[in-house]
Amino acid sequence: MKTLLAIREREYEWARQAFPSIHPLLLPLCNKPFTEFLIDFAILAGSSEIRLLSDGPLGEVKEYCETGNRWGVQLSYASMHAEDSFQDLIEKNRKFCGDDRIMIISGFSFISYDKQQGYAGSISLMPAGTCVSCPGGSISLTGDPETPSHHLPELQLKLQPLESVGSYYRISADTLENGAARYVLPGYGNEPGCAIGRNVVISKTAEIRTPVSIGNNVQILSGAVIGPGAIVGSNVIIDKESSIKNAVVLDNTYIGEHLEVNGRIASGNMLIDPRSGASIAMEDPHLLAGIRASGKPGKVARNAVHAVAAAILISLQLIPFLLLFPLLKLQGRWRSGTKTCLADIAGNSITLPTAEITGTGLAASLAAAISLDRLPLLTRVMTGQLAIIGSAPIIASGQTTGIPAGNPGYRPAVFGYAEAEEWPVNGSDAAIVERFYTVHSTPVKDIGMTIKALLNKLYEKNAA
Amino acid sequence: MTITETPKGSITVVALNGTLDASTAPELQKSPAITNASQTVVIDLEHVNFLDSSGLGALIGTLRKKRDMSAETLLSCMNDRIGQVFEITNAYRLFHIFDDTSAAVDYATQLIARR
Repeated sequence: MKTLLAIREREYEWARQAFPSIHPLLLPLCNKPFTEFLIDFAILAGSSEIRLLSDGPLGEVKEYCETGNRWGVQLSYASMHAEDSFQDLIEKNRKFCGDDRIMIISGFSFISYDKQQGYAGSISLMPAGTCVSCPGGSISLTGDPETPSHHLPELQLKLQPLESVGSYYRISADTLENGAARYVLPGYGNEPGCAIGRNVVISKTAEIRTPVSIGNNVQILSGAVIGPGAIVGSNVIIDKESSIKNAVVLDNTYIGEHLEVNGRIASGNMLIDPRSGASIAMEDPHLLAGIRASGKPGKVARNAVHAVAAAILISLQLIPFLLLFPLLKLQGRWRSGTKTCLADIAGNSITLPTAEITGTGLAASLAAAISLDRLPLLTRVMTGQLAIIGSAPIIASGQTTGIPAGNPGYRPAVFGYAEAEEWPVNGSDAAIVERFYTVHSTPVKDIGMTIKALLNKLYEKNAA
Repeated sequence: MTITETPKGSITVVALNGTLDASTAPELQKSPAITNASQTVVIDLEHVNFLDSSGLGALIGTLRKKRDMSAETLLSCMNDRIGQVFEITNAYRLFHIFDDTSAAVDYATQLIARR
């Protein structure tokens, strides 16, 4: 048997909003990413090949799960459309499915299984159709069983929808409660209800109360009380005299001194109440903060190259600017202003100067052709606020949250990659080429692309 | 790059072999099944070993042009390397992607029949 895991973006959108730093399919449920529970169940059900399908990005999931070697199965990935039916999914993956029986696990829901049960035998006897379902999720089978049976076995499992922060908290707590008896959970413990990961430093005066689950690379400082009912992720520091009870502390979080986290979810600097879903961002980094990975070393080199290129461009544009700007200003063809744009993927904003050259005439055409309207932005490259080439700055609005335009490499710039490429430009298509280059560009390539963008503007103006 | 067009009923399978980049994208755009905007095509990418932003632009341009004429562009047999370009650019959201060309042809035939 083979398994298709089909999870649509709209089903996990709430998780992206609530925990923006974690890919929803890797959201840890008691120290184990959601997708791993699905893979475990598919293996228990007798699958040797699994394909994960989504209409959303799967890059981070691929990076984490790789080819499935870790589980001894073949794991592959494919895209789907949100409106695809089961039949469409089977057609789109015809080569993968072949003539085998297919189990389709659909929806962002948690499979509450028991590893002691022999699912492979009972599922192989089930007829085609839906075996288990819950609102927004189901487990279905295609094809007939090899050996038809009149007595259908009862499947000892249930599906629980992961539809809100509240359901996430409940399921995490249940998973911790049932622990290693039902699920395959990571970590080691010398007593029931206690799982501790690698590289965990616990102060002699700290107290650990079961049930508890602690991830990898965790420091628990003196006087801290962890548990009961505490789920602590990886790369976490719990500072002195703090207590974590019936709470979830997600990866990369610092809990400050003398803090009591009871019945809450802490993620980075966010503290979330699972009952109401309300969250508060702690501004004081001594209380609650995110632990960030160090920046990429290439970023410094890129910024330096961009700054040098901007300095050269400014020096080239300065004289034409001094000659043309007063003239255009007098003619009313140079309009200045400001706009507030997203500065980074964290959703911070930046106010940028804008310049628009309107109308025709020799001075206006010349100024537009040599991109004088970008001169006010070039100074921001020198301060590192903008790149010389990258993403077209996205206007910040109240509704804009999370990763701008779904681009994790968003880097606001003076020139957009879409301007450099001869690309069939509309809003979403321009975002495609920007995403391409935010991954594939190098500082040197960026200079070439900047020259291309400048030449394209010159050519455009001449052609016009 | 070699381009092979094979009619399958009302659908044309356009099989590409080689590199789809700035130098070869115009070749694709000039091929008869692509220039005919009302022709639904399945582009077989099994033997495409490299795709850059210009190649991707050619595929998206084809899709836009055909959709304007109520035709479709489906993709099949994408290898991991090409799949990665679609993944990082989110271009997979625009296309119906199949792991088998005959399944794509069947799906396209049904799409046309439904219209």
